[in-house]
Amino acid sequence: MLSLLDTFAKYGLIISKNVRRNLLRTMLTSLGTMVLVLVITLIWSVLHFLDQAMADRSSNFKAIITERWQIPSRMPLAYANTLREAAATGPDDVRPKDWCTWQFYGASIDPQKRDRDFSIIFFCMQPEKILTMTDELEDLRGARRDEVQRVVDKMQSQRNGVMIGVSVLKRLKKNVGDRMQLTSFSHKGIDLEVEIVGSPPPGTRHDTSCFMNADYFNAAFDDYKVRNKNQPHPMADKTLGLVWLRVDTKDEFQKMAAQIMNSPLYANPAVKCEAASSAVSTFLESLKDIFWAMRWLLAPAVLVTLSLVIANAISISVRERRMEIAVLKVLGFRPGHVLGLILGEAVLIGAASGLASAAAAYILVNKVFDGINFPIAFFSKFFIPIDAIGWGLAIGTLTALAGAVIPAWSARSVKVADVFSKVA
Amino acid sequence: MGPPKIAAFDGVVRVLFFSGWKELSVVLGCFLGLMVLLFLIGKVPVSYNVRNLMIRWKTTVMTGLAFTLVVALMTVMLAFVNGMYKLTEKSGQPGNVIVLSEGATDESFSVLTFVDSADIEREPGVLKNDAGAALCSKEVFVIVNQEVPVPQGEKPRRRFVQVRGVEEPDMAATVHGLKLKAGGQWFSEAGIEELEPEAAKSATNVAIQAVLGHGLAAELGNDRPENRPLATGDTFSLGARTWKVVGILDSTGSTFDSEVWAKRARVGEDFGKANVFSSYLLRTSGPQAAETLAEQLKGYKKAPLNPQPETKYFQLQAETGKQFLVAIIIVAVVMAVGGVFGVMNTMYAAISQRTKDIGVLRILGYARWQILVSFLLESLVLALLGGLLGCAIGMLADGLSARSVVSSGPGGGKSVVLQMVVSREILMSGLLLSLGMGAIGGFLPAVSAMRLRALESLR
Repeated sequence: MLSLLDTFAKYGLIISKNVRRNLLRTMLTSLGTMVLVLVITLIWSVLHFLDQAMADRSSNFKAIITERWQIPSRMPLAYANTLREAAATGPDDVRPKDWCTWQFYGASIDPQKRDRDFSIIFFCMQPEKILTMTDELEDLRGARRDEVQRVVDKMQSQRNGVMIGVSVLKRLKKNVGDRMQLTSFSHKGIDLEVEIVGSPPPGTRHDTSCFMNADYFNAAFDDYKVRNKNQPHPMADKTLGLVWLRVDTKDEFQKMAAQIMNSPLYANPAVKCEAASSAVSTFLESLKDIFWAMRWLLAPAVLVTLSLVIANAISISVRERRMEIAVLKVLGFRPGHVLGLILGEAVLIGAASGLASAAAAYILVNKVFDGINFPIAFFSKFFIPIDAIGWGLAIGTLTALAGAVIPAWSARSVKVADVFSKVA
Repeated sequence: MGPPKIAAFDGVVRVLFFSGWKELSVVLGCFLGLMVLLFLIGKVPVSYNVRNLMIRWKTTVMTGLAFTLVVALMTVMLAFVNGMYKLTEKSGQPGNVIVLSEGATDESFSVLTFVDSADIEREPGVLKNDAGAALCSKEVFVIVNQEVPVPQGEKPRRRFVQVRGVEEPDMAATVHGLKLKAGGQWFSEAGIEELEPEAAKSATNVAIQAVLGHGLAAELGNDRPENRPLATGDTFSLGARTWKVVGILDSTGSTFDSEVWAKRARVGEDFGKANVFSSYLLRTSGPQAAETLAEQLKGYKKAPLNPQPETKYFQLQAETGKQFLVAIIIVAVVMAVGGVFGVMNTMYAAISQRTKDIGVLRILGYARWQILVSFLLESLVLALLGGLLGCAIGMLADGLSARSVVSSGPGGGKSVVLQMVVSREILMSGLLLSLGMGAIGGFLPAVSAMRLRALESLR
């Protein structure tokens, strides 16, 4: 055992000395590796997140109920009364463990300006469901959860209190505590005054989310009716965007879906019940070609480029050291040892650079830049997952190995007699 | 990584995709001119560099391939974005004005009443046809969630299909500047027809007559076992109804290529928009008249409207393209930086192997700058060859079909089938990127070669 460790230490020392021998070359190879690993990390982070969002869960199912045939989904609010019970009527029917509704309200903070810098879109929902039914926020623990709970409590006690993500606040140049007069572009005539009472925890996808108390939004339609001689708002019976339901298992989900789809309560418009992952997949269907190209064209091409950069550096290094390799062989190093030394150099540079690049990407993107702004379907921001640090290490190691195999093999095959005959 | 500054990117878009080939030609010409100049003034024979590249052919090939891959990828990615721009550019008629309800940035969010249509089509500036009818197409637009047939046991799949209900198909075709492919016809006044019982895919045997965009016909055809585009006479399911294809739109290269057109009353009735329009499309005498009419309609008193020239509406729909362009530029630049390090490595190695050669050249009387020119040229030649090969590979993407979404921002959008377009601007940009990589990657090593002292290098 000790002798094995001793051998490793000896080889490790030789490898590390070799790597330090031409610092300029090592640095250039390392920098090349780092930037290319950065590209792969960014691409895979987006793909990884979307894959997760589209993957079926085996437990803790979230279902989405929307209008069956068209988008945007605009259902009567009255549907929510029975949908939150999954249209259950009998004792054997499946009832969801939790539910919430989403209504969408778009407005501008300046009645004269409608562009992105002045616009805001709210999810109008039950404030208490923000912490139980909202992706990512439902997983918060400790102080971050307590902080959201405090904002939720405030939204419940003060109906015009809204929660706005930090990126939106920055864009609108607003702060927590500010009041805003909103002029709606989604529901003409439903203009609301709101007070910003807090933000979702920074550094999550909800940096771009805005939440409003559904009661406040719905009360505005009653006010509209009173102000307009009992005439309801033209959109009054089309405000419900979607209903979220949670069940424990896939079986329960399937039974619940059938229960809702077969219910006579939802005829006009008809509704559909689908797993959240299916709904996301539908929104991403039109972008499938782009994701295919990212996965099977862009990422492999970057990997090949990375391998080429490393292969080039290693083959130059081998060519320059043929004499030294011949001497090593004379000293008793076997071809396998030479192969190991060259591969070791490549792996050391690749692994260290890959790891450093992915770790830097993780810190810079998540902590400094607050995520990658790349709006796709429901998602506006992407973060680098912690797994990426492992990817960086693996990409660096494997591409270095792949790139170094041929030069290392040629080093292994160096013939002592040939080298010395040329010198002679 | 904040949102892009649109004005700056508009400049990039213009240079890359529209009127920029002259500017690019000048820059590329300067680059190539500089190379030729270096050839002419360089006293070190070029054959010396070429021979060196050939002797170290493995390194040469690997470095060249890095250029090739970066340029080929950038060309393919830009061809995709170019396809999106061309699609939105081709979709609007310069003399048309599209009228949406106020606040709506997309037809799917717009709700207009029947009452205003008569007033709006009588606005001064709206052209009339020979029969004296205003050239105005009143349309309802919905995005339908279509279930895609999948083998049993597979996860359910859905796609979004855009359906445009038009009041008078002939009028709509005239205003949109579209026509049907040979063998097709527009839907009837009723917009429905009875099917043979075996052809009916829904509870009733009455089908809605539909005209399909060419791209959508191909996409819907993929759902069928025979895998051929839908043609006149075929039926398909959409919503709760069976639809029968009565014609195919000759709409290649526009967003209408991905739409189903049917009688407005049928679409409105089936999708909860029976008593509303989504948009009015008005024809004027030209772009200037369209601007004037759009301004005039902003003052329309009876209902708040969002009128705009149709070309402007589709320009705004290209917002998604800008988003992809930003991402592509970032990826291309980062990849290029990686490539530059690779080139530097190669060139530094070339110099360290040829230290003695450089000493001999200096003793033979070659000046320092001539050594610099020699090595810089070597790097540029490698970049040019790699870049040309990358452009050639990238050109294979020209004409390929891809699906995407065009939209003016989050929330709306049209699912489209586009054709990738490799333009000369893109090829020039690829070559420029490659030469830029070669110049940056070759310069520092060339300077280090230039600074070698003759006697020291010969030791």
